[in-house]
Amino acid sequence: MSDLPQYEIDRLFDAPREMVWRAWTDPELLARWYGPGVETIIHKFDLKPGGLWLNEMKWGEKSDRSKMAFQEVVPLEKLVWHHSSTDADWNVISNPMMAGWPRVLLATVTFEDHGAQTKVRLTMVPLDASETEVARFAEAMAGMDKGWGSGFAIQEEIFAELQAQSA
Amino acid sequence: MEQFGYTQSEASLDAVFAALADPTRRAILTRLAEGEASVNEIAAPFAISQPAVSRHLKVLERAGLIEREVDEQRRPARLKAQKMAAAVDWLTEFKAFWDVSFDQLDDVLTSLKRAKESDKDHE
Repeated sequence: MSDLPQYEIDRLFDAPREMVWRAWTDPELLARWYGPGVETIIHKFDLKPGGLWLNEMKWGEKSDRSKMAFQEVVPLEKLVWHHSSTDADWNVISNPMMAGWPRVLLATVTFEDHGAQTKVRLTMVPLDASETEVARFAEAMAGMDKGWGSGFAIQEEIFAELQAQSA
Repeated sequence: MEQFGYTQSEASLDAVFAALADPTRRAILTRLAEGEASVNEIAAPFAISQPAVSRHLKVLERAGLIEREVDEQRRPARLKAQKMAAAVDWLTEFKAFWDVSFDQLDDVLTSLKRAKESDKDHE
């Protein structure tokens, strides 16, 4: 399939490529930023094709585990891994939030010089997913980027109603 | 605000996304965000029949995204905010995961650069 749906995010970092690469590949540094507002514990980090990154995110009493299996490691240029949610024994499970969502995503991160800055591009596409799952991923991602068309109106309505309910 | 996580672990969110995975149904929700509407009123701007709109409304109703008045003859449909909010939250979180993580990466890089500069100062 040539046109798999994908989630894509570009970001320019004000640091040399070598430093950005280190922040992604040194588990101590990675744990400091990966996962928003959570405590990230990296149980294993074996940076080579076939190696695993076993990640736990903790907040309050809750914990969320994921397994990343590296496919490609090109120093300073590219990281590719298979990304999945797991149970406490690192067995791949369906996303607890969404049954019918692709179980494994193929994540690709590229690093490029951009003057004195570094451009990072992350893409995620469903891997070995059924057609239904791929379609769902595509629709959800497309809808998200377009803000559901005029979805902001929907969100405003939602917030207004939720506020009215709690008032 | 909740931190990133699977706090709303409703299996029914699956039905929500299935319902949302259709442009006509999303357009119907957008219309309903402006206020309740009958099947006739919803069908008007679309090039689809009233029975087709009714079928879409049934899918949305089963997913819990809308509710319909039982008593009145015109049975207006109305957006149910709670369920919609759960779906929007999930997608927002997926995006927020990387946006916020990358903000944190910015901070890590800034501290790495500072450390490097202060090393130079000590040389």
